[in-house]
Amino acid sequence: MAIDVAAYPRTRWRRGKSLVFRAFTMGSLIFVVGPAVWLIGSVVARAVPTWRWNVLTTMSQGTGGGLANAIVGTGVIMLGVLVMAGTVGILTGVYLSEFAVRRSGRAGGGVMRVAIDVLAGFPSIVLGYVGYIALCVGLGWGFSLLPALMIVSMMVVPYIAKATESALRQVPTNYREGAEALGMSGGYALRRVVVKSALPGIVTGLLIALSIAGGETAPLLYTAGVTNNLPTWTLLHHPISYLTYYIWTDWNQPTAAAHVVSYDASVILIVMVLALLVFARLVVTRTQRHTEGAR
Amino acid sequence: MPIAALLFVVVVLAVKAWPAIRVNGFGFLTSSAWLPGNTYGGVQHVHGVTIPAGARYGAWPLIAGTLQTSAIAILIALPISIGTAFALTERLPRWIARPVGFFVEILAGIPSVIIGLWGVLVLGPYLAHDVYPIVANHVPNVPVLRYFSGSVGYGEGLLTSGLVLGLMIVPIIASTTRDLFLQVPPLPKEGAEALGMTDAEVARRVTIPWVRSGIIGATVLGLGRALGETIAVAMVSGSVLGVVSPNVYGTMTTIAATIVSQLDSAATDGTGFAVATLAEAGLLLALISIVVNLLARRIVSRSSRMSAPVGRA
Amino acid sequence: MNWKSRTGARLTLSVVLAGAMGLTSLASGASASTKTKAKAKAKSAVTLVVEKPAAANLSETGSTLLYPLWNIWAPDYQATYHNVTISTAGTGSGTGIADAASGTVNIGSSDAYLSPTTLAANPTLLNIPLAISYQAIVYDIAGLTAHLKLSGTLITQIYLGKITNWNDSAIAALNPGVKLPSLPIVALHRSDGSGDTFIFSQYVARQDGAQWGAGNFGTTVTWPAIKNQLAEAGNGGMVSGCAATPGCIAYVGISYLTQALGDGLGYAQIKNGIGQYVLPTPSSASREAQGYTKITPANGTISMVNGRVKGGYPIVNYEYAIVNKHQSSASDAQAVRSVLEWAINPKFGNSSKYLSQVRFVALPMKVVLQSFKQIKTIK
Repeated sequence: MAIDVAAYPRTRWRRGKSLVFRAFTMGSLIFVVGPAVWLIGSVVARAVPTWRWNVLTTMSQGTGGGLANAIVGTGVIMLGVLVMAGTVGILTGVYLSEFAVRRSGRAGGGVMRVAIDVLAGFPSIVLGYVGYIALCVGLGWGFSLLPALMIVSMMVVPYIAKATESALRQVPTNYREGAEALGMSGGYALRRVVVKSALPGIVTGLLIALSIAGGETAPLLYTAGVTNNLPTWTLLHHPISYLTYYIWTDWNQPTAAAHVVSYDASVILIVMVLALLVFARLVVTRTQRHTEGAR
Repeated sequence: MPIAALLFVVVVLAVKAWPAIRVNGFGFLTSSAWLPGNTYGGVQHVHGVTIPAGARYGAWPLIAGTLQTSAIAILIALPISIGTAFALTERLPRWIARPVGFFVEILAGIPSVIIGLWGVLVLGPYLAHDVYPIVANHVPNVPVLRYFSGSVGYGEGLLTSGLVLGLMIVPIIASTTRDLFLQVPPLPKEGAEALGMTDAEVARRVTIPWVRSGIIGATVLGLGRALGETIAVAMVSGSVLGVVSPNVYGTMTTIAATIVSQLDSAATDGTGFAVATLAEAGLLLALISIVVNLLARRIVSRSSRMSAPVGRA
Repeated sequence: MNWKSRTGARLTLSVVLAGAMGLTSLASGASASTKTKAKAKAKSAVTLVVEKPAAANLSETGSTLLYPLWNIWAPDYQATYHNVTISTAGTGSGTGIADAASGTVNIGSSDAYLSPTTLAANPTLLNIPLAISYQAIVYDIAGLTAHLKLSGTLITQIYLGKITNWNDSAIAALNPGVKLPSLPIVALHRSDGSGDTFIFSQYVARQDGAQWGAGNFGTTVTWPAIKNQLAEAGNGGMVSGCAATPGCIAYVGISYLTQALGDGLGYAQIKNGIGQYVLPTPSSASREAQGYTKITPANGTISMVNGRVKGGYPIVNYEYAIVNKHQSSASDAQAVRSVLEWAINPKFGNSSKYLSQVRFVALPMKVVLQSFKQIKTIK
């Protein structure tokens, strides 16, 4: 860029533009933070006046009652996703970072990488459609936990894989070299040294995946079904409830009791998801401090 | 595993959609008809496929709705995100920029059904009552702005959907852009300032060009999210099939919202044609968002050495 | 818990109908009843018993109109039969039919009977009448207390966008003396597949087939592309959407009328098949249904819309349980039979104790017996 000093005299016009720019940046921030605070505030404000603690302990009656079944159901779905997507995602990430390039060359890793990217771009409702048509109806599994877990896992595996991969890549080379120098085998070094030091990054990926699983609606509507009872711990043929169902359904019912259920579910879900994300953030900052200190 | 899962999804979609692709033909992309046919009457046979008498589907209004809402979302989210990123990196002191930046980041995690709930209960009615009428009554009758006049509706519709989507993708674009800005080395910026540039000029001539392709990548990622968003749009769009909204306030729907609201009733079509048509719509949507997504990742991976935060949507 | 009095109450409830002998096998304590039941069955052709089910978890989904009824049925049924749990969900009749057909739920609820194509694709599906419902046409016109008179033709023209304002001369001509405000009409329809859409579209198709299209009816139909329209999910969505939209018109299942009135909506007198304008009430709906009782076929498939019955309300329908004859297990099948037997029994589910809460009308005895026969085929 050829820059001429004389081209930038401090004219009033340019200072004015600069002021406009500053106003614009702060205005933008207000436009982002304002509606967000408004959103959370209005949902909380609707829930608080009618809040009852037994919503956490009593079962739903559809358009009324509590949400214990949905809270447990969302928990079960998150747990299942943690196990299913966590395993697949971490293994995929390890493969991408440690094996894909070195052993099977560019081609193998390339296919996996494209698959992950494409999966990440798949609209969730399209995955839900496939789950309903192929798993619930096609295989006769009915609305149940397993198809829900499979579909939500498909959505979040890319995030976990990406997070794992980049966490592994950030492990300093001298760790690996040190492990090798100590005579560790490749697999042992990977397990004990590399994965261990990449753990915070992987945990962050998992937590974000969990928050997505907990907040998902569209694919669950067509795979998990709904029930007013607690989860039965069976994988097939028994529907399972989740918080987003009651938000999606009950706001639109004409009774005040149903609206209360919808708002309560919203607040509980916001608290759950934000807690996860804050926790994920704490994991990151702690390790950042840790690595900075080590240097 | 991910490869097998992907193959499974694509094969199921393709097999399900095939009869619909044959019957609906190219008209699917251009026609506005969404006619389930007489599901209680007779059937007819088209290209060897059994369909309800009079059934005919065209997805043009859905395609248009999907593109329109996403375009509105990007037009709003992009400048605001860049502004926010500047505010967070250059204007605010660090002790306040960090928590605010974190707040913006976690906004991406608010479940879309809650954003939809707020959109339909709070934002939509407020806009339809207090904002849209003022806009509609004052816009001049010139091209583009013409679409902002006319009946403002009741808060459910195109502009509300676009705004809600915009709010949903701002955190994605803003936090990525902020991270990119932090990567810009201070020397060129200081040099530009030393030449007498104002901060606006530094932003326009140094900072933004430095990370331009990264911003584009983040924007396209946001676009991918907007294209595929389902529940929030289903709640605030009005869910009206077969109509391209005549102005920015009109009721409409998108491909994703149509699949979620129509899959059940489609399953009552005994010939299976309606379900097949939704598979075709899903395939179309998947194609659009995959192309967008791959494009984004290509751009991002080329432009950014930092791989961590970009993939997070 | 007072065991004695509860058992006593059950025994008085367990009266068998039509003079036939027999005992309903009610819950714990009545262990001898199983044998007695078998004898009773042999004596009479049809005995309205409620089977004692084995443990089962049942799921019900579908009609948002039946949903409130299921929500009061299920707890009472489960209170008697502790080992059965029923999850209910109001998702629209389309889901009820589709999910029962696909086997994702045990019982689907629908305001519409099965279409020939659905039956052809799923020959083992039954539609079993459970109760009689009817539909109100509601509107949101502030300050209007009178019940507007509306004909099928008027409603058709509103949904076709030919009548766009409440002060239209055609509406005024039918309603002399009613002060109609200048207020744009917003036509609401259901975004989900719905039995209410089915009977509503059937009504306008029969009243004005020339304009509406005689074949344009179903749980999802082609809505004319007009400017002032909104789509809402579920009956609940129709009521809350209409209440939030001045000038709206909507069709709402009768069990939601209480909520609609609470939200300040008005409802119309509707033109029936012989030109009378009739308000939706249990008696006018019952009158219409009686006109169809004789000709209701064994499988329950009949439309009771736009009948030529004096004083009969013209948008009336059977509420159906859509059930697959072949359940996944014998215990599920037995539990489904038990629940449905309980539901159609005039002493239990079909008593006014439940039906009046949702403004439904009980099934005529002939139809109860037909439903019972259908229920018995579930295996």
